[in-house]
Amino acid sequence: MQNVLDKVELGFTVNGEPVKLRVSPLATLLDILRNDLELTGTKYGCGEGECGACSVLLDGKVVNSCLVPALECEGSEVVTIEGLGVNGKVHPIQKAFVDHGAIQCGFCTPGMIMATYALLEANPSPTEEEVKLALEGNLCRCTGYRKIIDAVLSLAKGGAPHG
Amino acid sequence: MLSRSSGAAAPYAGGTDLMPRWSKGIAQRPESIVDLKGIDELKGVSSANGEIRVGACVFMSEIAADPVIRSAAPVLAEAGGRVACPQIRNRATIGGNLCNASPAADTAVPLILLDSALDLASAAREVTVREVPIADFFRGPGSTSLAPGEILMRIRFRPLSEGIFATWDKFGTRRAMEIAVASVGVAVKVEAGTVTHATVAYGSVAPIPLRGRGAEAELVGNPLSAETIAKCEAAAQEEIEPITDVRATEAYRREMVGVMLRRMLQRAERA
Repeated sequence: MQNVLDKVELGFTVNGEPVKLRVSPLATLLDILRNDLELTGTKYGCGEGECGACSVLLDGKVVNSCLVPALECEGSEVVTIEGLGVNGKVHPIQKAFVDHGAIQCGFCTPGMIMATYALLEANPSPTEEEVKLALEGNLCRCTGYRKIIDAVLSLAKGGAPHG
Repeated sequence: MLSRSSGAAAPYAGGTDLMPRWSKGIAQRPESIVDLKGIDELKGVSSANGEIRVGACVFMSEIAADPVIRSAAPVLAEAGGRVACPQIRNRATIGGNLCNASPAADTAVPLILLDSALDLASAAREVTVREVPIADFFRGPGSTSLAPGEILMRIRFRPLSEGIFATWDKFGTRRAMEIAVASVGVAVKVEAGTVTHATVAYGSVAPIPLRGRGAEAELVGNPLSAETIAKCEAAAQEEIEPITDVRATEAYRREMVGVMLRRMLQRAERA
């Protein structure tokens, strides 16, 4: 069905860079990020909004990019895991995940980090319960939740969690 | 657009239910979708003439955080804040939750407690709006009283009045991303030891989110005693129509509705 539909122009901002491309009306934001823009840090997990591996920020809010039609992003600002580090240096959230061994296979990590970013933007010093609720839409099948929660809490304790 | 398309175009809001259904082939992808989020009248929460108006395209994260809803109907804010997870709550809308007509729709039970009215709009020639009480909106799983080309525009309700104890809870097999195995909501007012107002509603235990008229009848005019609560519990278990599915058995759902209702009424009695 995809090839019978004419592609449509889409203009939006990804990680601070303006992007213009022609996309299928059926494409999701995740399709565009991974296939057209080759930002493969954002993962395709379940494709139905259950696992959170495709989490990105859309106009500052964490969303599952597999559930967002790409054309809805016209004029929007999207931030992916690739957009967090500055000048080749990892973001403090990424560093905390590494330091706490909060990464095993790594597949869930980008989504976990984007959900963590959204949490800390809204609530710089979350409690453990608040961390669990903020990450309830992100599955880790290595079951590394304890270390992930510890990594997020270490940022909360630091006072200025991210810059 | 919806009226002109004679069914080929589908109304679309947050997409959190429709997108996976289409991509997994559970439902056929429509020829085109009409994004209702572009309509200003469907956005925002306002309060006028003692009535709260919630646009159909208000996101669940907004339902949970909105100061007007939190003050006038905290029971609705609570339910909105427990839908799925943050990623979904940032996209899913209250209108979508109702129009999907899942018996498990989290916001349906609080909206029944609030005796909400739904404004349905259509635009065949000119825009017309009709009001449907929420109790008449649901027809069955996935089925509503929306006519073809008609959309849910807004939800209206009056703030819970002074002295009403209202609560809602859902029960699932895990705490994160739970789809309710059963949910119960209660709004009661006790004056001079007697229940003067009672609204009861259930989710996930009938083909539609169900108002508990039988349970209400056992409460009104009686003291909130252990005896009343036991009768109310029995009436609730009688009037629900749970089924056995992948999430729970019929008997378990029936049992849990009784347990949740009893605990809520005991809390109301202490409140």
